[in-house]
Amino acid sequence: MERPPVSPPVNRPPVPPLVKNLEFKIGLLLAATVLLAVAFVVYALFARGAFQATQTLLLTAPEAEGVTIGMPMTFSGFPIGEVKRMDLSEDGKVLIEIAVVQADARWLRKTSVFTLEKPMVGAAKIKAYTADLKDQPLEDGARRELLTGDATKEIPVLVEKVKTILANVEAMTAGDAPINQTLGNVATVTGRMAGDYGVMEGVLGSPDKAKEVVDALRNANTLLANLNGVSLKVDGILAKTDREVFAADGVLPQARQAVAQVNAILTDARDSLKKVDAILANVQTASADAARITGNVSQATTDMARLRVEIDDSVRKVNHLINEINKMWPFARDVEIKTP
Amino acid sequence: MAFLTDFLTRRGAYLLATWRIWRDTARFAGRAFVTAATPSAYNSATRGVVMKQIYFTAVQILPGFTLFAALLSFVLIQIVVGTAGEFGLSEYALEVSMRLLVLELLPLVTALFVALRSGSAINTEVALMKIHGEIEAMEDAGVDTLRLEFMPRVIGGMISVLALTAVTSVLALALAYLAVYGPQWWSLPDFNRVMGKVFDTPVLFGILFKSLAFGLAVTVIPVSEGLATPRKLFMAPISVLRGMVRLFFALMLIEVAFLAVNYI
Repeated sequence: MERPPVSPPVNRPPVPPLVKNLEFKIGLLLAATVLLAVAFVVYALFARGAFQATQTLLLTAPEAEGVTIGMPMTFSGFPIGEVKRMDLSEDGKVLIEIAVVQADARWLRKTSVFTLEKPMVGAAKIKAYTADLKDQPLEDGARRELLTGDATKEIPVLVEKVKTILANVEAMTAGDAPINQTLGNVATVTGRMAGDYGVMEGVLGSPDKAKEVVDALRNANTLLANLNGVSLKVDGILAKTDREVFAADGVLPQARQAVAQVNAILTDARDSLKKVDAILANVQTASADAARITGNVSQATTDMARLRVEIDDSVRKVNHLINEINKMWPFARDVEIKTP
Repeated sequence: MAFLTDFLTRRGAYLLATWRIWRDTARFAGRAFVTAATPSAYNSATRGVVMKQIYFTAVQILPGFTLFAALLSFVLIQIVVGTAGEFGLSEYALEVSMRLLVLELLPLVTALFVALRSGSAINTEVALMKIHGEIEAMEDAGVDTLRLEFMPRVIGGMISVLALTAVTSVLALALAYLAVYGPQWWSLPDFNRVMGKVFDTPVLFGILFKSLAFGLAVTVIPVSEGLATPRKLFMAPISVLRGMVRLFFALMLIEVAFLAVNYI
């Protein structure tokens, strides 16, 4: 029996794969996942300080409330170490072991101070303070005391103080409190100051009084202006007087002249009187010796007449002079020299 | 009296059924684990299924899901940072947002997303295969269905959840740095310190185990639920429904357990 010939294999077109580059895509995703996972683990180890050299610092505290493992210790707000272990020491104090990153250990010196602060909100904080950064560096395994400052313990004291302060403030702000009255007065004064007469009204109390002061000032101004005019006039008068009295043709030089003349006249008069004396002596001699004299009487009478004329002449001159002076001199007086 | 007996019998049967399905799930997980740990179980066919599973579960949704996770992370970080700032606790904002996102929310959201997308698909597929007798047929033909069909799905699902969690978490880290410190490098030491405080060794292992548990639950529960489907077509939707509810329950249980271990 002959078998039928086997038909040639059918050339089917190759079936396209369900997804293009399936292997590559899956490989990429797997590689990325493994990479991310490994990188994340390494990063977490790095972040936990697994690759950082640290030095230990032992802190003793009376109590460790609020301190937890892994809690950071900060310097100027930057974490430089963290709590590794906590234990009770032999004397009942808490021993806190802190791992300080070696690179940041330079911020800690022998004189550094460590505090535990417990704020009202949030976790407690261990802080390091270094006053002198040039001091000797803190040695590895150093043991220091942890100073605690508990904000919540202060609250009752604080509340009492605040109450007192509030009571004072209340007394100060009460309606009849002195400070309130003072403020009211200040308000009144400043209100007045805002008026037409400004500060003056504020000081004096009312606009009327301020107005009076302003008027008084204005009057004083007027008065000063008048006084100024008067003084100007006085100046003029004085100048004139100066001219009249002391000038070359003024009163005084003339008076001086007149006095000189009077002197001269008086000298004349003295001379005349001497002559009269001599004449009178002659008359005496003559009267004692009348007989002899009778002969000479006519001559004597002639002499007498001449003398009389001379005396009259002198007196007239004096009178004239006095009149002259009177004319010039303001203090006139009725002066007349009369011959006896 | 008869009513009470009837009621108790029904309750008891329901309880037994529930217990049985959980037991089956655990047994399936154990068998899958054993198979996965056997090097000879892997060949090109297994690898192909694993790769397809990863592709459909992780690669396909990677851009969209990453974008969504970035948006969610950014919004939550902003809220945490803003709120912490209002209460004067800015120094804790970074730590809180990292704990919230990387430790809790992002793995859970990833698991839920994968559960909704791939878990439901796996459940439906296995249920239909079971209803149509394909699984029995394959086993009759000597095909190791666990090795060729189910174990690769579990492996793929776990790797997908891990990969998506890793990508979104690292993205969240970067976003948190930007949100708290702004675009500059000087605050890296501070950031490192906080990260070191958050991600200590137990937490790192915790995240790893949690993500693995999420990945396991997301694939094991739908497969076991699908395998337990009675051979009736109308049972397919019910199987998916039950599987999804159990999956959600399991995810929440894992999350709560993780939280309890971490914080209590």
